[in-house]
Amino acid sequence: MLPDSEGSCPFVEDSFSRFPSQSNIYGLCQAGEDELLAATLKGKVVCFRYQDLQQKIRPVAKEVQFTYIPVDAEIVSIDAFNKSAPNRGLVVGITFIKDSGDKATPFLNIYCEYEPGSEFNLESIAQSCLNLELQFTPFQLYHTELQYDEGHRETVFLLSGHDQRIHLYKENASLHQFEEQPVERFFPELMDLPSNVLWMNVLSIDGGRRLTAFGCQNGCVGLALVNQRGPEILQSWRLQQDSPISTVLLFPLKVAAQNGNTDEGQGDQVTEYNLLVSSTIEMAVVYRDVERCGVSRPVCLAGSDQCDAVLCALRIDLDFDGQLEVLLGTYGQDLLCYKFQQPTGSTEGRFQLVWRRSFKSPLLSIIYLDLTGDGLKELAILTIKGLHILQHSLSSTADLVLQRLANRVAKLSTAPEIQPVTKQDTEQTEG
Amino acid sequence: MRSLSFVQRVCLDFTGSLFPHAICLGDADNDSLNELVVGDTSGKLYIYKNDDSKPWLTRTCVGMLTCVGVGDLCNKGKNLVVAVGAEGWFHLFDIASDAAKAESSSQPEWLFGDDQKPCFTQHIPANTKVMLISDIDGDGRSELVVGYTDRVVRAFRWEEPSDATDLTGGQLILLKKWLLEGQVDSLSVNPAPDGRPELMVSQPGCGYAILLCSWTQDGTAAPGESRLTASAGEGPSRDVVLHLTTGRIHNKNVSTHLIGSISRGSKEDDSKGGLFALCTLDGTLKLMDSSEQLLWSVQVDHQLFALQKLDVTGDGREEVVACAWDGQTYIIDHNRMVVRFQFDENVNAFCAGLYACKQGRNIPCLVYVSFSHKIYVYWKVELECMEPTNLRRVLEERPEYTDLLRKLGVDTRDAEAIRKLIGDVLYRDSE
Repeated sequence: MLPDSEGSCPFVEDSFSRFPSQSNIYGLCQAGEDELLAATLKGKVVCFRYQDLQQKIRPVAKEVQFTYIPVDAEIVSIDAFNKSAPNRGLVVGITFIKDSGDKATPFLNIYCEYEPGSEFNLESIAQSCLNLELQFTPFQLYHTELQYDEGHRETVFLLSGHDQRIHLYKENASLHQFEEQPVERFFPELMDLPSNVLWMNVLSIDGGRRLTAFGCQNGCVGLALVNQRGPEILQSWRLQQDSPISTVLLFPLKVAAQNGNTDEGQGDQVTEYNLLVSSTIEMAVVYRDVERCGVSRPVCLAGSDQCDAVLCALRIDLDFDGQLEVLLGTYGQDLLCYKFQQPTGSTEGRFQLVWRRSFKSPLLSIIYLDLTGDGLKELAILTIKGLHILQHSLSSTADLVLQRLANRVAKLSTAPEIQPVTKQDTEQTEG
Repeated sequence: MRSLSFVQRVCLDFTGSLFPHAICLGDADNDSLNELVVGDTSGKLYIYKNDDSKPWLTRTCVGMLTCVGVGDLCNKGKNLVVAVGAEGWFHLFDIASDAAKAESSSQPEWLFGDDQKPCFTQHIPANTKVMLISDIDGDGRSELVVGYTDRVVRAFRWEEPSDATDLTGGQLILLKKWLLEGQVDSLSVNPAPDGRPELMVSQPGCGYAILLCSWTQDGTAAPGESRLTASAGEGPSRDVVLHLTTGRIHNKNVSTHLIGSISRGSKEDDSKGGLFALCTLDGTLKLMDSSEQLLWSVQVDHQLFALQKLDVTGDGREEVVACAWDGQTYIIDHNRMVVRFQFDENVNAFCAGLYACKQGRNIPCLVYVSFSHKIYVYWKVELECMEPTNLRRVLEERPEYTDLLRKLGVDTRDAEAIRKLIGDVLYRDSE
């Protein structure tokens, strides 16, 4: 066990919904802005959201009847996305295995509503299904946004399978349905995989490029820097670990520029891209600045191997300081939070465990989203027993908001020209 | 219904079996920190301190312990531990002076030895079931009230000669005996609308009875006289005022529990008479005030067998805590907001209250005695609020908030603009 010397978790549990059967690491996804879909093994999908009724909010977990999922089906993975602008309609993908005695058949169901006005209505989306039989056992269902040369964007599904391949499903706009397309046309970096991919992550970065990472059952991790135009692989890396890779996660981190003078501090920050790799036996590792250094600068997350296998990871700014923290959810029923310590003098920057929180059952998946509709995001944690919603401490967050609002007012009064809120241009899409 | 999963708990060793009333939280050694006192069916008394899994000390009593209590029974300004057996043996322990003696004699084994005898024993009528140490007649001094399995309730007062130096000279004097129609499952004291304490006992079918302390109404009636009236057989029924609550009672014989003197949180409100709660084994929960007004009623489908009060939000108002045999626990505030918690085992006995489990201070705790030789103390059950809420509602209660919004030119009714503003302030202004 880890020592208890760390700080305490800044979240308080707001609700817990028990599920009738267990889920898995691919069983939770965000649907729209403020809803979650959780899939349980026994073919049930639960939609979780906060209902605003008579000035009161209350958590509601309701089963959604997705059509064409037979009663004997076991759901493997679920994912959802809003189509890229301008359509924005919600698309839900569910993979499951129908086991009718002698032969188990895997399927991918894609739910999408084309009727204007119903594109966001989950009930009606759940009724319009495209049923695809698969030739492989599905694993992670993931989505990512493609950027075409002419600036047009489109979101597609990527599905990894036990056939050592990743399959791409793309909408055929004229036919109003999704169909499989050769993955190498859009993702040349996902060809010729060394093993079955358990987890993948794609991050769009500046200059029309993207970073693609995947982790395999045999311990292999692949990373590629790709120019989206073409697409063309600019650089790619492989590394081998000793146990199956449970997650890979790409995330940006602001660090003090190496040549920057330290007196300036804040002014000289550069963004570097890091890759977090967690495996089922070994310590979780962050590869620093992968865009420039590849996988040559690993930093271990000390203590992350003490709580059984790490099953899920998330990077969020949970203390509102602009710096992302890394959360790891483990089979050992612990949630670990690591914070990046800026390098000081001779010591390298490193990730320090700042707090841990225990749960009643193993953690499977984590999502950070605004469920309560107030601008503040909540942490949704899927465990084997159900779904926990953790909320930031509201009184201390309210203090911070008031202080920052007061800062804004003060800035307004000193600078006569009113600066509108700058629109964030580097919005990242991720799963 | 809001549901939570408490996780932080301490596991205490307890190999015996116990009666549901043979557990209580109280300051047994007068150090202003509460201990957990448990009595088992073989006559062993265990006192647990902080998060130590082994009892801090054990004592031996005669017979099967049915009820334990901590209170200033002898009116000497210090708490004593009281243990009563089914066979009618009443035991008093002065833990504080034992501890002081042990310290001065520097013989810890003397204190912690198993063979510690009580400092006072007396035989009272047998078949005890529940016990209460409280001032029931408004004279500012504590009395002992004992409920019996044969529907009898007796009140006793501690009396000792004025020149007594220790407890051996004193004895319990019977004040009065009441005979009730139904089984008495709980005893409690609740302030009447005029502020006088009223002794209440639960009656089957979600009923309760107020027992009149006739020795005060008869002016200066000597205890001996009231004993006479009691034995005359006519007195008891006259001094029992039975109240049956209305509503959906399926079974008028169902076992019922009661707890009184539930704090309303402010002095003025307390002067309006006390609040008390009732629960039944078939799942009815009620909160009423001393003028018999029903504040709320909740129907659940779990078998409630224990009823307690605990301030989990720290606002001074005590919430009602009810526990079912299967571990389902309900925490309900005065506005009928419910928070549920499922303890994952069947429950042998339950109590809730303040216990100095961690950090050297009294904190609200839920205590479950399982059937697997363990006592579980949940020590992190404090909530910021009972009702799910969001940041916007917390901010709206801050005086400076609307003014800041106005200065920033944001309409206070425009929920979408506020959501965006708060999101920006938290996740993008991180200077």
